[in-house]
Amino acid sequence: MKKQKLVSFLIHLCLIFMVMMTIAPFVWMLLSSFKTNAEINAIHPTLWPQNFTFDNYLKVQTQFHFMRYFANSLFVTVLITVLVGYTSTLGGFVLEKGRFRGRKLVFGLVLGTMMIPWFVTIIPKYSLMLKIGWIDMYSALVIPAAVSGFGIFMMKQSLTSLPDAMLQAARIDGASEWYVLHRIVFPMSRNAIASIVIFQFLWSWEDYLWPFLVMNSEGKQVLAVGLRLFNGRYSTDYGGLFAATAISIIPVVLIYIIFQKQFIDGLSSSSVKG
Amino acid sequence: MKQKSFPLRRFFTPTGVCLFLLILHYTLFLVLPMLIAFVGSFHDWNPLRGTFSFTGFSHYQRLLTNELFWSSLRNTLVFSFVVIAARMILGLVIASALFSGLTRAKNFFRAAFYMPVVTPLVAVSFVWLWLYNPQFGLVNQILGTQINWLYSKSLALPAVMTMTAWKDYGYAVVLYLAGLYTLPKDCYEAARMDGASSWVQFKKITLPLLKPMSLFIFITSLIAYLQAYIQILVMTNGGPGTSTYLSSYLIYDEAFMKYKFGYASAISFAMFLLIGLLTLLSFRVNQRGENA
Repeated sequence: MKKQKLVSFLIHLCLIFMVMMTIAPFVWMLLSSFKTNAEINAIHPTLWPQNFTFDNYLKVQTQFHFMRYFANSLFVTVLITVLVGYTSTLGGFVLEKGRFRGRKLVFGLVLGTMMIPWFVTIIPKYSLMLKIGWIDMYSALVIPAAVSGFGIFMMKQSLTSLPDAMLQAARIDGASEWYVLHRIVFPMSRNAIASIVIFQFLWSWEDYLWPFLVMNSEGKQVLAVGLRLFNGRYSTDYGGLFAATAISIIPVVLIYIIFQKQFIDGLSSSSVKG
Repeated sequence: MKQKSFPLRRFFTPTGVCLFLLILHYTLFLVLPMLIAFVGSFHDWNPLRGTFSFTGFSHYQRLLTNELFWSSLRNTLVFSFVVIAARMILGLVIASALFSGLTRAKNFFRAAFYMPVVTPLVAVSFVWLWLYNPQFGLVNQILGTQINWLYSKSLALPAVMTMTAWKDYGYAVVLYLAGLYTLPKDCYEAARMDGASSWVQFKKITLPLLKPMSLFIFITSLIAYLQAYIQILVMTNGGPGTSTYLSSYLIYDEAFMKYKFGYASAISFAMFLLIGLLTLLSFRVNQRGENA
């Protein structure tokens, strides 16, 4: 019994050490964002800010309109997420519950698209945007991202557990296929949709290269690119840089803390059964 | 008028709309671009100068003799396999520790380990760029060293790999833990009756039963890491010299810094082929292991 207690103590010690390693960079970034540049560059720096200052956050906003990037990112990300939530449910419903020839083939192709690396298609996609004049328009960010192979795959997996009899009963009562989709499938799949929405939100939020390529005017740019622009221009203003980085990370961490169950369930259900 | 709208209304079902959307989306943003990229890889293609002239296999020939292509590929393979190994080993060890009956606050630990996975990579790469800063970075302060990590030819890539492993190991923790919960309990009881130690149980029962999960983590990681470039873009720009060039970063560099779309497309297809082959190979190796 004594030995077991010792082992348990050691395991907890290791785990706590790993937690500290895991969150230390975030804590350091957050604390540094409240320091002056002089204090950041001090010869004997302290972890805790000596003179707590909010100047970095104010500076980031007045010099660089950082909230503008934040709002742009939020707008684009929410739009993509809503569209993907809808198209994934539609796709999952049709490919799981539909009865037509070639259904399996279509699903196989959708799965296959998830394996294609970004660099194979991005160059022609960029030329396409140039040709149709979508450069610097949000449609270039939103429309190509409106369908997600991963989302369709997740929805199809989740809908296997929705009994056909329930849909059949509605159909016998005269419900149209749209009614079945909107009034039965959607409300019954709330958890799966939540998982897809959360993952999609994160992916769109952190997307860098595509917005960097297709958006030209700075006023329309998104946060991930804005952060790099800021770094390029004020590369020695570390206080400002820490504040800008904190602004890009903190909302995500907050969303994560609120919805961590959905995050973890979503990830676990996207994998194989062990 | 009425007769004309009839077929359209029949088409306007979830199935019709869905198939229409899928075909439109994947044709425009996947099939067509892939065809153009493939054709483009045989052309001298520069959008700034507006050139698109046939050059045959010259891009592929150039690529095979290009020192940077091979060193990037070597870096990519080292980067991918080391980070995958670190991710899987850390993931399995921590998941086993969390799974054991001796651990409390499992959900707290799991949530903490998974946190870096969800944070945006561009921002996290910046944080690590400053962690490695020789002047005020936390890494040197903790280790008591004075190393300029990201400007050292031998240390820059390992430094980026460390950051990537730190960010991503939580993914393996969550997946392995989910896998451990599905394992049948009676196997362990039988083994315990036969006097098998916990190490033997782990080696002979847990590891083989977790194999599908290991394969899943391995393949998803492989596909992701062979395409990684953000860390390099933010932290090293491929430097010092070309010592941290990864293949994906090389493609980014050739395409969007030098506007050599044709050559970049050729590298893209070479890498695409490699990813496909490696994925296939890992499935094969796994299958052979199962038959034996």
